[in-house]
Amino acid sequence: MTITPSMRPFLTLYYREIRRFLKVIVQTILAPIVSSGLYLLIFGVSLGERINLEGGLSYLAFLIPGLVMMSVLNNSYQNSSSSIVSGKFGGDLEDWKVVPLSPTAILWALSLGGLTRGLIVGLMTFSVGQVFFYVMNQQFLIPEHLGLLFLFLMVGGLSFSMFGISIAFWAKTFDHISGVGSFVILPLIYLGGVFFSLDGLHPYWQLVSKANPLLYFINGVRYSMLGESDVSLAVALSVSCASLVLFYGIALVVIKRGQYVRW
Amino acid sequence: MDVKKSPLKISNLVKRYGSYTAVDNVSFEMKPGEIFGLLGPNGAGKTSIISCIVTLQKPDEGECTIFGQNPMDHPLDAKMHLGYVPQEIINHGYFTVEEILVFHSGFLKTWNNKEKIHYLLNRLGLWEHRNKKVKALSGGMKRRLLIAKALVHDPKLLLLDEPTAGVDIELRNSLWEFVMELKAEGMSVLLTTHYLEEAEQLCDRVGVIQQGKLRKVGPTKDLIEQLTQRQVSLIFRGDCANGIKSKYLVDVEDDTARFLIPQDLGIGELITEVDCEIKNLLDIRISEGSLEDAFVRILGEGRDQ
Repeated sequence: MTITPSMRPFLTLYYREIRRFLKVIVQTILAPIVSSGLYLLIFGVSLGERINLEGGLSYLAFLIPGLVMMSVLNNSYQNSSSSIVSGKFGGDLEDWKVVPLSPTAILWALSLGGLTRGLIVGLMTFSVGQVFFYVMNQQFLIPEHLGLLFLFLMVGGLSFSMFGISIAFWAKTFDHISGVGSFVILPLIYLGGVFFSLDGLHPYWQLVSKANPLLYFINGVRYSMLGESDVSLAVALSVSCASLVLFYGIALVVIKRGQYVRW
Repeated sequence: MDVKKSPLKISNLVKRYGSYTAVDNVSFEMKPGEIFGLLGPNGAGKTSIISCIVTLQKPDEGECTIFGQNPMDHPLDAKMHLGYVPQEIINHGYFTVEEILVFHSGFLKTWNNKEKIHYLLNRLGLWEHRNKKVKALSGGMKRRLLIAKALVHDPKLLLLDEPTAGVDIELRNSLWEFVMELKAEGMSVLLTTHYLEEAEQLCDRVGVIQQGKLRKVGPTKDLIEQLTQRQVSLIFRGDCANGIKSKYLVDVEDDTARFLIPQDLGIGELITEVDCEIKNLLDIRISEGSLEDAFVRILGEGRDQ
């Protein structure tokens, strides 16, 4: 593919996003991997040995897809939102506004930047999970549907990057960002089926969980890796793609109408 | 881009923040290759006008065009010809000076721009600091970086919003020298500054803005001529000054008679009008009107309206 001059602003911003998170690699890549490793060790290995799932599936195998998707979603969201917030604080956002960067270019560059970080952390989480899985089972966990797995990770990561962009543009203070992280993202992720199966819930809570879009992202990844999940593949794929379209629309409107002046 | 068109044309621009009108029906047009000074007290609306030009703010009425293109309607084309130095320092927390210039160059569709970037780093005294992060730079160095960023893509129009606010005299002088070089190369420059002496030296034309309204616009020399007077002091031998009569006389103190005369009145004409004996005249001291005098007068008239 030929790179035309009109693509250069977008590619530069995407490259800048990657350079940005690599500059603080301990905070952006290594710390999330350590926390995922601890989840795997404590929940997957220690407690997991005492948890029996239907069909003889080990709890560690059940947990790995959820944790991979959780890593992708969390890090995609954090990357795009922190990029905009630090840009608002330092004045970088003004730079983006006064150069020939279209709203669509900003949206895709930031989203792909977030997705890249999310995929790196997700891949590392998967690798750490493989180590634990091999130690426990003397075999690796081979994903059943590699293409689908990649698709769900892409859709989830892009959606949450776009969500992060919307929240960061809307935010007026750092409190707004951390508030959404603590009161919206975290509950959605933890109640989205990372650690539990819908089958083990009371019907009422099953209903509540089904209203959580993250359930479909996580179960999509679980199906792709294990070949089984709490929701059908068609439903998981439909809800995930619909979420992406929704988050894309919201983020584009926010970028077009948002304030680029500094805090 | 049509280079024959005005580098910048502001037409009936209005910008409101809630009920406050920051820019009130402002119109002016720059000529190619000129330095245009936008002058006014704090809060007059200068930065709001620049914010509308660079699309950081959306005008409520009117429009700005850059070489005939409205940056709101054709942002990707119009912004390619624009270099912008903001009033406030940008703190790019993560990157080094050179990285920032490389990225900014890329945003402006220019890759592999090392030669120009290295030229600017050298020309603006940033070469030694190219591997430092912005937070490690002094205020003056940060300002130089903003200027380098604005010039990295060879723009045809440069907007300088208070570029010398808070910088030392050495940097101010070197910056103005650089701006004159850019003008000689054909660049058009819109400048806002509080340093009227500098504006007088640099600007071909100025516009004075007050409370959002453009009070006066014209060639710098013409404004000074039209709006200021020359102060002439004639120093006489003995007590001859006391007998002096003239419609231009302001006061007499000891041996000195002080006059305020129009810019177009020659000193010879004044002496003829005063009708003094030349043999009694010891010395003549002339103080020319300045842009600052004109500025103060324009603001005074504006307040009276």
